Amino acid sequence: MDLYAVVFYAFAFITLAAGAIVVFSRNIVHAAFALLFAFFGVAGLYVLLMADFLAITQLLIYVGGILVLVLFGVMLTSNTIDVQMKTSTIQTFPAVLIVAALAGTLIGIFWSTDWKTTTDPPIQATAPKIGEMMLTSYLLPFEIASVVLLVALVGAAMIARREKKA
Amino acid sequence: MTEVRQYFGNVWMAIYTAMVGMRRTFRHLFTPAVTIQYPDVKLKLPERARNRLYVNIDDCIGCDQCAMACPVDCITIETIKSTPDQDLGTTSTGQKKRLHVPKFDIDIAKCCYCGLCVYPCPTECIMMTDVYEFSEFDRKNLIYHYSRMTPEEIDVAKEKLKKAEEEAAAKKAAAAAAAKAAPPKQEGTSSQQPDSTKPS
Amino acid sequence: MYELLQQLLGDSILVYVIGAALPLLFILPYALVTVLLEMKVSAHMQDRVAYMYTGWHGVLQPVADIVKLLQKEDTIPGVADKTLFRLAPYLVFMGSYAGFAAIPFSSAYIGSDIDLGVFYIVAITSLAVIGILMAGWASNNKWSLFGAMRSAAQIVSYEIPTALSILVAVMITGSLNLQDVTHFQDGGFWNWVVFGGPLPLTQKLLLLPFTLVSFFILFIAGIAEVNRTPFDLPEAESELVQGYNTEYSGMKFAIFYLAEYANVFLVSAIVVSLYLGGWTSPFGEFMSGPIWGFFWFVAKGMFFVFMQIWIRWTLPRLRVDQLMYTSWKVLTPFLFVCIFAVGFILVV
Repeated sequence: MDLYAVVFYAFAFITLAAGAIVVFSRNIVHAAFALLFAFFGVAGLYVLLMADFLAITQLLIYVGGILVLVLFGVMLTSNTIDVQMKTSTIQTFPAVLIVAALAGTLIGIFWSTDWKTTTDPPIQATAPKIGEMMLTSYLLPFEIASVVLLVALVGAAMIARREKKA
Repeated sequence: MTEVRQYFGNVWMAIYTAMVGMRRTFRHLFTPAVTIQYPDVKLKLPERARNRLYVNIDDCIGCDQCAMACPVDCITIETIKSTPDQDLGTTSTGQKKRLHVPKFDIDIAKCCYCGLCVYPCPTECIMMTDVYEFSEFDRKNLIYHYSRMTPEEIDVAKEKLKKAEEEAAAKKAAAAAAAKAAPPKQEGTSSQQPDSTKPS
Repeated sequence: MYELLQQLLGDSILVYVIGAALPLLFILPYALVTVLLEMKVSAHMQDRVAYMYTGWHGVLQPVADIVKLLQKEDTIPGVADKTLFRLAPYLVFMGSYAGFAAIPFSSAYIGSDIDLGVFYIVAITSLAVIGILMAGWASNNKWSLFGAMRSAAQIVSYEIPTALSILVAVMITGSLNLQDVTHFQDGGFWNWVVFGGPLPLTQKLLLLPFTLVSFFILFIAGIAEVNRTPFDLPEAESELVQGYNTEYSGMKFAIFYLAEYANVFLVSAIVVSLYLGGWTSPFGEFMSGPIWGFFWFVAKGMFFVFMQIWIRWTLPRLRVDQLMYTSWKVLTPFLFVCIFAVGFILVV
């Protein structure tokens, strides 16, 4: 087993173990924190795929942004200082059904896809290429995404703004 | 427009005042420190500083006024009356001593350094010194025994007082028989006598 | 550096482990020095003298502190979330230590010569936010949680000015790799990005005001990101009793402290690498080379560490609304102006 494989399995194990904690932990806060390691493991896998920009963006947005939001949400939702927040399993049967269907679909896609292997050397510097593409070939989706985000920002500011009492 | 000016004014103020403060602290970085390295260098105490109590037991007449003045009751005095045949000498202020002082204890751990015991003393034998370093590992060591009388001397004095009282009761009118002189005073061995200049 | 290690040890995983551990060899003695520096500088700024008895002028005091912290009982509050409580300090330190991977200590050493160095640092330091939130939550203490919340809010909002001011330097140098950024500025202090970089004179002069402003803002936002005074609301001794690390003692507390000091240097290192030429000598060829490079890098870094200490012992703490005002209404708009102007100047 070479170094690459060791690192791959390490990250895969981190991702899966953390994912398992997210799913099975009864403590919501533990689940939220386990999400950190899941995101981190996925970022590691991206790095192994030579997608460094994606990996770092994963860290920046999911760990630095979304996870913090999730944690804030979990911590601020209720009187959580004393209350141990627990989750419980309900509706086992429909859940199993849906999960089985989803897993079946994914595995089906995995087997039926014709995975191509390439011998091209991986692109070393992905960031300049991605930047160029975003501002040339994919300008419209990029701009639409930014407009959506701007709308969200304005909306958030509107909601958060306290009405001045006359 | 005024708002814009105020905005930039505020930004400028923030930077400017921060700079002023930093200039001040930078200057202080090189001014000599005012710290006194205490155990090595000591501040001179003011003349009337009140610190550890000291009792000049030779001058004590056992009047108990200091013990009564003490607001925290840290002074304990026991006295034994002397018989007329005993001469306890006089104090340095010329007063005649009439009482033995077998016990003069000061619990300095209780003392609040108010100095109230000093003023009533008729012979000025209790005073506050400038010693402030007298920490101990055992609290018992902070109870200072100033009396120099040995247990034997105390016994003798008590015996004498008893005898004298009996004699006085038996033959009031008769002249007192020849009495033995009081044994000469010796330096106390059981009592602790703190030095006024050094921590004990 | 890696080639040298590979020659010495052959192609094994050990090479990478040693390469990754090298910054630690710097951080540990650096933290000892900085603890002493902080104490001494703060004391002398207040006309005191600080430690005097452990060694000459108390230079051994940090060692004594470490020994004390090692001996201390490691207490965990009974109602704390024990798993998270144990994990949090390591996560916080991991966040700041991982940032050192992309810092070029000298022309011969950079932990990981990746293409997206600064971007990686900005991203990976967000691990520390999670660690702080974890510590605050696990302590099961409302003030700790308050501190952690404040810290997270502060770091998340100050990430914007930090990233934008990094962007200004990146626009000029054209690379996110700090090693390339440093090479770009080689050749004397007039080539530093803070003075406009090695561009034609007219461009340099036009760029100068904007690079200066963004340099200042990067430093300010950096201080805010590592929660130091005047932005130390998360620790606020007067209201929150140290905030998220109130309940920590012994070695766990020491690791929080180590992470804080590592962060202090990390901020200085980013500022130095981006704007002040990193390991390059300020005098061109004079005193340059890998060893001198390390010297210059550490010297410049320590200067900014001193600046942070200096600011810490000068300015009082900001209020929460002032903190947010500074970030969103002052630093960010100024940086937007800088970015537009720099882009305009570079293109035209």
